[in-house]
Amino acid sequence: MCLEQRQLRGLGSLAVATLALAVSAGSALAREPLYGVLTDAALLKCEDQFWHGRLTDARNCYQLLQTSKTPIAIRAEASWALGDLQDANSLFQQAVKAEPDNALLRIRWGELYLQTYQYNEADMLFDEALGIDSKNPWAKIGSAEALSKGGGDPKVINKLMEDVVDNELTPAGVRYRGLLMLLHNALGKDKFDEAAKAIEEARSVAESGKLPQLELYALEAANAFMTFKPYQSYIDTALKQDPAYGDAWAIPGRFAMMTRRYRESGEFYEKAVEIQPDHWQAHLELGQNFMRLNQINAGVEHIHTSFDGDKFNPTTINLMRMLDVFLNQTEVFSFPNPPDGPFPKLELRLNKSESTVMKDYVRELAQAGMATYQQRYRFTPKEPVVIEVYPNHEDFVVRSVGMPGVGLLGVTFGYLLAMDSPTAHARAESYHWGTTLWHELAHVYTVEASNHLVPRWYSEGISVFEEWRTGPIPGRKIPLDVYKAMAEGKFLPVEKLDDGFMRPAYENQVIVSYMQGGLVIDFINTEYGFEKIVDMLELFGKGVKLPEAIQQTLGVSVELFNKQFKQFIDIEYGKLLKNLPGWQEDRKAAFAALEKEDWKGAVDAAKKAVSSFPDYVEADSAYIALARGYSKLEDKDNEFRTLETFWQKGGYASRALLALARDYGERGDSEHEFKVLKDVVWADPFAQDLHIRLGNLYLSHNDPARALREYLVLLSLNPPDKADANYKVATAYKALNDNDKTLQYLMTALEVAPQYRPAQSLLLELSRSTGKQ
Amino acid sequence: MKLPKIPDCCLCLSLAALALWPSLSQAALYISIVQGLGGQPQYDEQFNDIRKKIETASATVTDADKVFSFSGDHATRAALLKHFTDLGKKMTANDRAAIYLVGHGSFDGDTYKFNIPGPDLTAQDIKGILEHFPGRNHFIVNTSSTSGAMLETLVGKGDKASNPAFVVISATRNGNERNATQFGRYFAEALHNKDADLNKNNSISIQEAFDYAEKQVNAHFQDEGKLSTEHAMLRGDGAAQFNLARLNAAEQQAELASATGQLAQLLKKRKDLDAEIEDLQVKRSQLNNADYLKRFQQLILQSAELSEQIDAAQKPDTGKKSAPAAGGTSVP
Repeated sequence: MCLEQRQLRGLGSLAVATLALAVSAGSALAREPLYGVLTDAALLKCEDQFWHGRLTDARNCYQLLQTSKTPIAIRAEASWALGDLQDANSLFQQAVKAEPDNALLRIRWGELYLQTYQYNEADMLFDEALGIDSKNPWAKIGSAEALSKGGGDPKVINKLMEDVVDNELTPAGVRYRGLLMLLHNALGKDKFDEAAKAIEEARSVAESGKLPQLELYALEAANAFMTFKPYQSYIDTALKQDPAYGDAWAIPGRFAMMTRRYRESGEFYEKAVEIQPDHWQAHLELGQNFMRLNQINAGVEHIHTSFDGDKFNPTTINLMRMLDVFLNQTEVFSFPNPPDGPFPKLELRLNKSESTVMKDYVRELAQAGMATYQQRYRFTPKEPVVIEVYPNHEDFVVRSVGMPGVGLLGVTFGYLLAMDSPTAHARAESYHWGTTLWHELAHVYTVEASNHLVPRWYSEGISVFEEWRTGPIPGRKIPLDVYKAMAEGKFLPVEKLDDGFMRPAYENQVIVSYMQGGLVIDFINTEYGFEKIVDMLELFGKGVKLPEAIQQTLGVSVELFNKQFKQFIDIEYGKLLKNLPGWQEDRKAAFAALEKEDWKGAVDAAKKAVSSFPDYVEADSAYIALARGYSKLEDKDNEFRTLETFWQKGGYASRALLALARDYGERGDSEHEFKVLKDVVWADPFAQDLHIRLGNLYLSHNDPARALREYLVLLSLNPPDKADANYKVATAYKALNDNDKTLQYLMTALEVAPQYRPAQSLLLELSRSTGKQ
Repeated sequence: MKLPKIPDCCLCLSLAALALWPSLSQAALYISIVQGLGGQPQYDEQFNDIRKKIETASATVTDADKVFSFSGDHATRAALLKHFTDLGKKMTANDRAAIYLVGHGSFDGDTYKFNIPGPDLTAQDIKGILEHFPGRNHFIVNTSSTSGAMLETLVGKGDKASNPAFVVISATRNGNERNATQFGRYFAEALHNKDADLNKNNSISIQEAFDYAEKQVNAHFQDEGKLSTEHAMLRGDGAAQFNLARLNAAEQQAELASATGQLAQLLKKRKDLDAEIEDLQVKRSQLNNADYLKRFQQLILQSAELSEQIDAAQKPDTGKKSAPAAGGTSVP
């Protein structure tokens, strides 16, 4: 990248308005102390005033540096401190042009890019600096930070960090900065021993190098908060040095948020913006936190404030876009309405484009889940449970974590859960929204019942267990990769199982950890009884740690518990794991034969696969190949029996289930037809045939109100056969004796298809009956 | 029966398929069906089946001597060009032509070719054929692989695409979709399937056949668990008004032929009434909404009563319930 091309940028379509505002507002983005990287006395004087909270003096001081007598690089620093980032950028550009071999200029310029979230550009400048001075530790630490924030290779980052931190000859300031980075990292991973060491070492380096310790105090406060120790004194010490140091509160706030203690996090952030109103990152995170706590207006306000002050932050830009959709396209429903107590028990936030389809189904499943969990986990919600469903996956992940491109399906923040709609996924076969809702809803109860103190794996384990035990498609659903991991002995001891979620060491470890969590809870349920699961949850809520909780509840040590669990897995899956390679071969052979239109070969191979692993019912299950093979061989009876077994074992591929429902219908078994169709609702509520069949069933069983619901859903899906869809709605209204509505929909049907005989007949019937009246 | 005079090689339809439905207007509809090379027995069989279905359907919407079918060694480029040249000369500006191309296609990045014995028919050939026809509102469907490349030749590509004076359907989006297609068999199936008849008028329009085929192609690939390798395209106006088949043509013809006395009168009355309803719908934009709805309701009610009377007249033994006289019903 050539110098002339480097420009600080705002992001996306809002960028044009952004730059002007950022300059005119004179806003200062969060900067770090210099830690000795520069030695200009005049600049250091201003810095000293700034980091002691004497902001007016500091501003005047920086302004005095903005004269032509001041070196260009120092003027750039002054402009940066005053919030005029474009001017700082321009001055750095000039400085580098004048002194192309000065590595330090490029390093500081790179730091400016780091502060504006442009990590690639920052890293390029650090790289250029290293090209000039290959051992420069400031360039290395800058590069490590840029790569770390920009998703770079961990090995490269670690090497850069080692070069800086493990080298006693490195200047104190840069080593100190490296230690602070390690401390952030350790706390982010709950590695409190490592954090304690880093604190000790950082303190020693800071004291010997006479470096500012504001951030270190804030991190100590965070460490104390996370380990349930008194933390206020650390914050007080930082604020004594700099009363306007918002990070004294914001840094603990961030770690409270990361550990899902949203209420405390919000309190920290509120104090941060109170003492430093221009802490835009704190406004942003406070806004996100309010949103998670279901305080939408307050959340929106702080996100807007953050955007007004810092238009460079990609998270803010993403959230602003998401809010545009959220605030304008969301329809809110509460149940019961009006509430039968101080608040409604359930609130749904659905996109207007699909609320007609989703509303009743989400409500029905959520209410069933809430009743189930309330009873099983001895916990009554103290606030409404809020469910948000997003038809756009990226809106959902931005709402959840601020950035797009994350492979989540659902997220729970206390009483609020957000999730993908079925329409967020191109193929309905691969996403079961009902199970996602059931999973997330369980978190509401486990997290709230334990005061947010439940270990991550335990909460996930219960959610997975409830999917299998009480969810819309009961039965253990374990992906293939997990069986492979199981066979390779990759399950972790329970006391380390959180690592599998938070610090995955291999691809798919997160999903392996989910499944292991579910199996551990299943094991406790089988061996010790369900109530022990709840007892342990309550202990977590009192702050009891896992080993003690296991000992107190189950009467065994965590080591013995792990051994017992391994035995459980061996008994449950030992035989299957031995057969796994053969089963895989047969399953693949069945689909390969289908591809070659070798129907008999497909049936033979699929039968073998089903026989060696009858419980595997995912979308690539051998049952699907077997049913398709039978269908092609026109063996209707065996096709039906295969699909029936597939369904009974928890298979949910919606097309297969619709075919089974049709078969039940043809056999006159409306009871099973209905059950199968209800299962399709939890998998693929946008399947048009589903609503035709359900509506017809309800109508034939004298339940026109429900039939009407299904037909109206059908109509909202814009079916190709609009005449028939409108006619069906009319028939339901007719059964409900609503003649006006009947006529309205009949005429719409006949507008599309004037010669549609059933509609004509109903019109005649209606006409005569009203004529009689 | 008169054999069509134009191409010596043209295979005429069987007697059974002839003239089941008379033309309703002076304008004539000429239908040409071209079956290309299959290359493999399975495709020969599939293309034969598609061609036959189209032939049967075509016989329900035009006279037998206006349906031309080419296959095997008869479907050469020279024979086809001669046929279409002669046809163009024969047609008036009011006449319409429908062309079905059933087979495989190829595209070398420059030229689209429909695969037939001997030299292939190119996209430029097809363009010339369509431009040579008098009048507008003709129709061509090309069910072959890579047929999207033909579409691009006919109407232009991307931003440069223009709205053609005819209706054109290709089974693929462009010349890069090279797999043998599913679209043709579902399009032919639509011409005989009441599920495709979305406006319940017992006729299958181009639009209805396209919608049905497109839906079935999607379902096919979903059933197979594969990503779709073809995406059909429809360009041009008037696809909903251009009928390619009548579904119960034989029954209606028999009904008309056997009807006598009151039943014949009722059938004629219903036919006239259907035409009046269609006319009213066409003129909807010229009418006040309330007036339109009132008139529409009246006509629909009359049509419903007539249908009931026809049913009763056709089933004298079982139709015990006699329909009330027209005007005896009211709309709430």
